[in-house]
Amino acid sequence: MEDDEAEEQERFSYQQRLKAAVHYTVGCLCEEVTSDKEMQFSKQTIAAISEVTFRQCENFAKDLEMFARHAKRSTINTEDVKLLARRSNSLLKYITEKNEEIAQFNLEQKAKKKKKLENATKDLRDSAEAREVESEN
Amino acid sequence: MEGAGAGFRKELVSKLLYLHFRDKKTKVSADALQLMAEMLRIFVVEAAIRGVRQAQAEDLPLVDVDQLEKVLPQLRASGGTGYTPGLKAGPGWTGDRVTQACPRASWLRPDGYSADPSSSYPLQTP
Repeated sequence: MEDDEAEEQERFSYQQRLKAAVHYTVGCLCEEVTSDKEMQFSKQTIAAISEVTFRQCENFAKDLEMFARHAKRSTINTEDVKLLARRSNSLLKYITEKNEEIAQFNLEQKAKKKKKLENATKDLRDSAEAREVESEN
Repeated sequence: MEGAGAGFRKELVSKLLYLHFRDKKTKVSADALQLMAEMLRIFVVEAAIRGVRQAQAEDLPLVDVDQLEKVLPQLRASGGTGYTPGLKAGPGWTGDRVTQACPRASWLRPDGYSADPSSSYPLQTP
């Protein structure tokens, strides 16, 4: 009985910490909007947006889990996220483009790393060859 | 690439999602996590911007909870699962009246985005 209570308490304080983190991010984003639109937000408004965003995450998470499960997967992928965005054409379009941007960026990062590795290997080989030639002479 | 502007850290997004998964085996791919961070960012920014529009329409210098209350139902309708209770439980708050008060087509409605270019904030390339 006591264990249940302790567990409940732990979950509650964990949630509170997450809410605080969300609140911070929301504050930063609202600050950007304020400088862009020249309109302030009351503290209560920022708190309210944070609360709603936190609650919305529950819906997102459950939907995503269901989508993946429906596709007989245990790992949620970008297709599931795109399904979340299906209600609006423009949101779906934006998310799809963002997805491609992310994929492209990751691809470029991989290519860069590969190139770096190849160059490093090539340098090693060149210097090894040069030393061989020298020693032959 | 994602450095421009504030946003949700992937670690936070991960924790937020995993908090609500029912199955212990459920995981999220790295790409999906990045995309979800973007989704949440859009969600917040859109709520903020609509609050701004409402405050502007009411000729106010500040976005207060009253303005936000009027714009939230549409926001939640897309991502939520039906009717959701308002922030201030009390008489006089009805989702229908609010929808009528905000005729501007939202990008969260199935009919797509409104033609107003100034409201295309989330679609601007960073």
